[in-house]
Amino acid sequence: MKTEDLIAALAADTRPRPGVAHRLARALPVALAVTLGAFLLFWGLRSDLAAALASPAVLKPLVPLVPAVLAGVLALTLSRPEARGGFPVAGLWIIGAGLLAGFGAALVGGGLSGLNRALATPSLLTCLTSIPALSLPLLGAALWALSAGAPRRPGVVGWLAGLAAGGAAAAIYAFYCDQDAALFVLPAYGAAIMIVAALGGVVGTRALAW
Amino acid sequence: MQEPEPTWEALMIAANRGDGAAYRRLLLAVTPVLRGVVRARGAALGPEGCEDVVQEVLLAIHLKRQTWREDAPLRPWLYAIARHKVADAFRARGRRIDLPIEDFADALPAPLGPDPTVAGDMEKMLGQLEPRAADILRGFGQRGETVAETASRLRMTEGAVRVALHRALKSLARLRERMME
Repeated sequence: MKTEDLIAALAADTRPRPGVAHRLARALPVALAVTLGAFLLFWGLRSDLAAALASPAVLKPLVPLVPAVLAGVLALTLSRPEARGGFPVAGLWIIGAGLLAGFGAALVGGGLSGLNRALATPSLLTCLTSIPALSLPLLGAALWALSAGAPRRPGVVGWLAGLAAGGAAAAIYAFYCDQDAALFVLPAYGAAIMIVAALGGVVGTRALAW
Repeated sequence: MQEPEPTWEALMIAANRGDGAAYRRLLLAVTPVLRGVVRARGAALGPEGCEDVVQEVLLAIHLKRQTWREDAPLRPWLYAIARHKVADAFRARGRRIDLPIEDFADALPAPLGPDPTVAGDMEKMLGQLEPRAADILRGFGQRGETVAETASRLRMTEGAVRVALHRALKSLARLRERMME
């Protein structure tokens, strides 16, 4: 087929195509409803929720939400082939460094034995499985929407989608989890979110290639 | 009186509104520039191999056109798509290539050569498509059919023809992808 013939065939295909944002607007509410429904059905709210929300534990849902939003914005941006990262990249680095510093400070305060004690609870396994499980509908929706994009680096954008989905799932899971110690929350939530990010990276490398 | 040449952005915006003629005009204007870059970079592929790459880029531009923002200039977007696909194509053919973006902006448009446009890969791909999909593509491409003509020839509704055409182009891109792996 000659190039001019191909062009004629392309020009005949004038149906408008929904972009990433459009697909996200369609898929994300559904995914969020599934995740929230599953959460209320199988996990439920912690019994001392009111007291927890009046304590520093209120940060548990808020902290993962900030990098999640930044990662989501960045994934959307980078789904355009000519785009550059811009301010969300710096934001993510700063937050990452801040969280590591927070973990370091908590570790200095509690020591390795404190860390071992904080993590020696069945809640660790629950956390490491629940957050990825709750994130799956969100990650699926994000990757489906982003597959309409044209990222220069599909793996990176998939990883960011995983970070966003994992962070959002962690924020939801925080309403169930009654472990409020920084030495538990920072490593356990962090690891759970990174599992989702890695999954997003692996799937995205293939699913977002074009 | 001569009409001023519409910008590539104006053509693409019209294309997004369903103006096939504007879209065709845009793709015809873009192709020589793409061909210039690919030939300058990939002389070793031969004219036919280069034309295969040009067609891959055109297909990607088409299937990813929704990632262009209408308030942005078209060229940076276009060159980013082209660069990605050209690098891809060279990698698939076992050649690494370093492709500075300036190459696109500076490339001299290349006219059609003697007869390099009966690109080999595309024929192979069409052969692997479902016969009806290949037939619809050839109808639009080689015989210049309209949607209405294809619809009446194949006893389909015009809506079904549009959907089938779009699916055929997507399968074509997927087949290419698979061929490269």
